[in-house]
Amino acid sequence: MNFQSVSEPVARQDATGRPAPRISGQPKIELKDVSFFYGKSQAIKDIRMTLPERAVTAFIGPSGCGKSTLLRMFNRIYEIYPNQRAEGEILLDGENILQKSQDLNLLRARVGMVFQKPTPFPMSIYENIAFGIRLYEKLGRTEMDERVEKALRRAALWEEVKDKLSTSGLGLSGGQQQRLCIARTVAVRPEVILLDEPCSALDPISTAKIEELIDELKEEYTIAIVTHNMQQAARVSDLTAFMYLGELIEFDETNKIFTSPNNPKTEEYITGRFG
Amino acid sequence: MATYSGRKTKNTVMMTLCAVAAAFGLMWLALILFDLIYEGISGVNWAVFSEMTPPPGDEGGLLNPIVGSLIMTAIAVAVGTPIGILAGTYMAEYGRHDKMTNVIRFINDILLSAPSIIVGLFIYELMVRTMGHFSAIAGAMALAIIVLPVIVRTTEDMLLLVPDALREAGTAVGAPRWIVIRSVAYKAASAGMITGVLLAIARISGETAPLLFTALNNQFWSTDLNAPMASLPVTIFQFALSPYDSWQSLAWAGALIITVAVLTLSIVARVVTAQKEDR
Repeated sequence: MNFQSVSEPVARQDATGRPAPRISGQPKIELKDVSFFYGKSQAIKDIRMTLPERAVTAFIGPSGCGKSTLLRMFNRIYEIYPNQRAEGEILLDGENILQKSQDLNLLRARVGMVFQKPTPFPMSIYENIAFGIRLYEKLGRTEMDERVEKALRRAALWEEVKDKLSTSGLGLSGGQQQRLCIARTVAVRPEVILLDEPCSALDPISTAKIEELIDELKEEYTIAIVTHNMQQAARVSDLTAFMYLGELIEFDETNKIFTSPNNPKTEEYITGRFG
Repeated sequence: MATYSGRKTKNTVMMTLCAVAAAFGLMWLALILFDLIYEGISGVNWAVFSEMTPPPGDEGGLLNPIVGSLIMTAIAVAVGTPIGILAGTYMAEYGRHDKMTNVIRFINDILLSAPSIIVGLFIYELMVRTMGHFSAIAGAMALAIIVLPVIVRTTEDMLLLVPDALREAGTAVGAPRWIVIRSVAYKAASAGMITGVLLAIARISGETAPLLFTALNNQFWSTDLNAPMASLPVTIFQFALSPYDSWQSLAWAGALIITVAVLTLSIVARVVTAQKEDR
């Protein structure tokens, strides 16, 4: 597994005095004073940060600190519920995805998401993958077969399911279902993959498989992962953001966060004194 | 130990009471079924399915009421199901947080428990009086109004059972809302929705009151939607009240046929649900 940092740290503070790591990769997602509201209660408070391209950024923090909420802003999935509202700017390749004119379906095709609980669609394994591809591409039978196989191979699931592609996705084990969900996400060729506690419902072996997968996927994709498991954050991520009560407390290279964090709150959380 | 044995006694007493209550309730059902089979089975023969209703005192069958019931039920379901599914979809998917949905649900519940004779009178005023005569289409519409709230209710309930996580997952691969509903939510809820349609059919296949003022009845073969049409429940009602033995025997046979048909539908509904859940 790859623990290397993205670059040598240079500056630890941005212009506003907020903590910010020095990033060598191209910025993929930039957050500018981002806030989020559930009705009247504010769940995210003026967060600014930059997620670099082709790197894994982990979000850690105690329950209710807003890390999942933040992740759900990157593909605006919160839009399917009323009374949820975002403020500020989130730039994806320099374009603000929070503006009204943003095509949401297109955004979600570019920014894929895997959820906490495996959520295979109630259809065959093959159809689970083909569903998303069909939304944006018209493919012939053989091309589609290839795409499905490729996606399943990418998610390290092909060998286990190649003989039962027409059976229901619901018949797979939890770990397989989650890899099916990753395959489904990869199949539509997104640029960013959001993982919202993808292993919290899985056993250790399945978790290890998913983590290996994350490590491979970051060659091609920008990955943001929310996790409650600090070892997991330490294992899979290049950068780690620690959040508390809706605020970004510290954001730095994973090595730095886990060995010598700047903020005492971060240290307390990582060493298990609260959270 | 005293409390333990005391609790054990209480447990036994309660269990016995529950068992007796269950047995008492089931007994009537068993008696009705037994009586129906006992009286009806002798009347069921090939002639019942192949001959028309006879004049008083003659032998005959129930072909025209069976076909009439099938035609009117089919039209009622064909009209009521799409409207009901669309309404239920609005309530569960698009308008889940609207005040309007609560109003619709309230009215729908009233419609669900409205006496069916009221529905019959409503269609009588609306269609029979304006058309000037009884007709099969009026009967079918009355049945459609009974089908509608059943479908609305089951569709809404079943869609609400579909976890939001599944909708989020569909949305997250870039599917527009209507595709998420059509390809993901409907698929997940399909067993329940099919069951709803089957139960609606079961419900209307025994309805007499809404047909009395609308389709009336017909002693003769007719598939004309613009004319009165025979139906099993109305024929049973008429024949059972008659003094003629052959008519009474046909009424028993008809009652048995409806019961078996409804029972079969219920079992099919169960099997559909069970199969879906197994996967």
